[in-house]
Amino acid sequence: MSSDSFGDLSWRRVVGGAAVLGLAVLAVAGVVAPESDAGRLLDILTAQTTLAATLRLSVPIAFAALGGIFAEKSGVINIGLEGLLIIAAFTGVYLTDVTGSVWMGVLGGVVASTVLAALFAVVCIEFRADQVIAGLAVWLIALGLAPFASQVVYGGPNTTSVETVGTLTIPLLSRIPFFGALFDATPFVYLMFVAVALSWYTINRTTFGRWVRASGENPKALDTAGVDVQRVRYAAVLLSGVLAGVGGAALSLSLGQFTGNGATMVNGKGFIAIVAYLFGNYNPVGALLSTMLFAGLDALQLTLQARDVFAVPKPLVRTIPYVTVIVVLALFGRTRTPEAAGDHYESGDD
Amino acid sequence: MNLRDSAERLVRASAFERFLISAAALLLSIAVGFVLILAAGRMTTCGTAATSFLGVGFCYDPITVYDRLFLGAFGNVFADPLNGQFATTLSETTVLMFTGVAVAVAFRAGIFNIGTQGQLVVGALATAVSVLAASTLVSGLLGTVLLVPFGLLVGALFGAAYGAIPGLLKAYADANEVITTIMLNFVATSVALYLVQDHFADPESAATQTVPLPDYAVFPSTVFRPRDDFSLLAFLFAAAVLVGIYVFLERTSFGYDLRTSGIQPEAAEYGGVDAPRTVVTSMALSGALGGLGGAVYVLMILGNFQTGIPSYGFDGITVSILAGNNPLGVGFAALLFGVLKSGSIVVDVGTDVPPQLVGVLRGLIILFVAMPEFFRMIGRRVWTFEDDPSSRPVADGGSGGETDE
Repeated sequence: MSSDSFGDLSWRRVVGGAAVLGLAVLAVAGVVAPESDAGRLLDILTAQTTLAATLRLSVPIAFAALGGIFAEKSGVINIGLEGLLIIAAFTGVYLTDVTGSVWMGVLGGVVASTVLAALFAVVCIEFRADQVIAGLAVWLIALGLAPFASQVVYGGPNTTSVETVGTLTIPLLSRIPFFGALFDATPFVYLMFVAVALSWYTINRTTFGRWVRASGENPKALDTAGVDVQRVRYAAVLLSGVLAGVGGAALSLSLGQFTGNGATMVNGKGFIAIVAYLFGNYNPVGALLSTMLFAGLDALQLTLQARDVFAVPKPLVRTIPYVTVIVVLALFGRTRTPEAAGDHYESGDD
Repeated sequence: MNLRDSAERLVRASAFERFLISAAALLLSIAVGFVLILAAGRMTTCGTAATSFLGVGFCYDPITVYDRLFLGAFGNVFADPLNGQFATTLSETTVLMFTGVAVAVAFRAGIFNIGTQGQLVVGALATAVSVLAASTLVSGLLGTVLLVPFGLLVGALFGAAYGAIPGLLKAYADANEVITTIMLNFVATSVALYLVQDHFADPESAATQTVPLPDYAVFPSTVFRPRDDFSLLAFLFAAAVLVGIYVFLERTSFGYDLRTSGIQPEAAEYGGVDAPRTVVTSMALSGALGGLGGAVYVLMILGNFQTGIPSYGFDGITVSILAGNNPLGVGFAALLFGVLKSGSIVVDVGTDVPPQLVGVLRGLIILFVAMPEFFRMIGRRVWTFEDDPSSRPVADGGSGGETDE
């Protein structure tokens, strides 16, 4: 295993190096010939709005990824993150509409997502369901339930528009070129950075984090040490519900509407989150960086669509993030998962 | 005891239990749906309550909804066995038989193919475009005899190719097929949209769709009325495919390899099964079946390709899981889902309850079938239930990776 993960690590370096080199070439070409395609692409890449869009699009994916890390580290693979995002996105808008307060909406989204995660936890931990199938069920339930509820309340798969969460602008700092976007964002963006730092700290520096890791790597040892494995797993899955709930509510409340057609407005972000944390090797910081890569590509494709820079048809541009996910997964598919992930654990005295 | 015997026993011993669990899961989903309809009836407003329980009025009456959902799908079948609603039910069933068995084949091999939807889209578009091109060469009865099989073949081949991609990625790059297949669904939808918009659009239509196929190039409507878009021929073809896949899985050596890979991957490899090759072949076969579903959808229901294909692929997951991933069981589960899909149209027309209800039931059924332990616990409490710890009722293929139970 160790040689495997080492090989994996060097792969990461190669690809990372290639990406940096590619960007450098693009930058030089762009500076030398600002009127060329490279120049225009560089223009988009360095625009403050691109970074702002990247951050905005990162929020739901990053929160879901953090949740996924806790769940999977504890030994429960949560494929249902997509469903948690969907249910939180709808409930967020619905409760904002009912209560008139955006923050009540966020709370509602978190509660809805956590309830669904609790159902998932009971089914997996108590009733020993296959985690992947139960996760798919969570996704499909939310995929049916959110448009159903929207239809009942609003007479269509899309909700009405509600108040959005405004941006918090930090004076002066927000005027820095490009990086100013970091200081002119919704509270969710700041919250995302805080959540990443807290998650990293929790997993690596606290007792609970140690339990979560042990529960996924060696549940027997944890059991022997006198810690209830199932309880740790419940806590981790519920936490994934809370985190995904924030992400889902942030997604819909940044736009002020839930759209429930087809794959809904969540549109695969929960699954991209899974790849983000796999690519980030279960490290919250790594997960954030890979999230920003995917979200950055999404922001780029949105800008490309809007500005019509290249003559590439829009539907094809739209596939960029999905194709990238597949390529990343093909290159880094061999990520080492926690030893006991996916397995049911039964305490010996049961 | 050799591997073959124990594997066979594992499947047979739990067959009855599987049936009980599927039936119980279905009933429980309907019960939850009942509560959901009541709850939805409280979320909306209405002049007069449709029903009331314990003195509380509700806007929607679940009994009416379920009556429309299940009985509505059959229309007035005793007076007119060929009625339009029943024809719709059967045509939905036909497509679901393909997507259900597509998912089942992959699950039996221990692979989660969530990409049947994308494989169906690819197969459908390929069929619509290639049959249209070929339809200028022949016509009349000869055209039907040649073009329909040709269209099915094209759909199967394109579906197989699109299914082989995640298979190759899983076999040789260890990329999780759940994620890759879901991503490929998005890619298929977008690429199909692009191809239809920019290359194959019907110039005479405002909608994004291909040029309609001539009547002789689609499934002839046998027995049923042509306007109901159902062909008994296609239905019989689907039934034959299910039986064929059943025989293939149970009676051929490759089918045996495939099943063993699903139940005991290590043992299968030890027994000389080429694991990567089995993964790719199973996914190609699964994709071919999904592609066939797309071809039948085009050649029987649509008559061309239109964007916004219904979620037959996702329904196929529920159909397969409900059927215990058994190809013959898929026939019955597909009929049940055909009833639900067709009945949801009746619900939409006849009541105020949104037809998305069926989407919720779809997820609930999967969730409940996935937790056999729940029903076993209840079973043990109610009567002494024969408990067989070695049986994995839901996804004998699903739990693929783990054998250390």
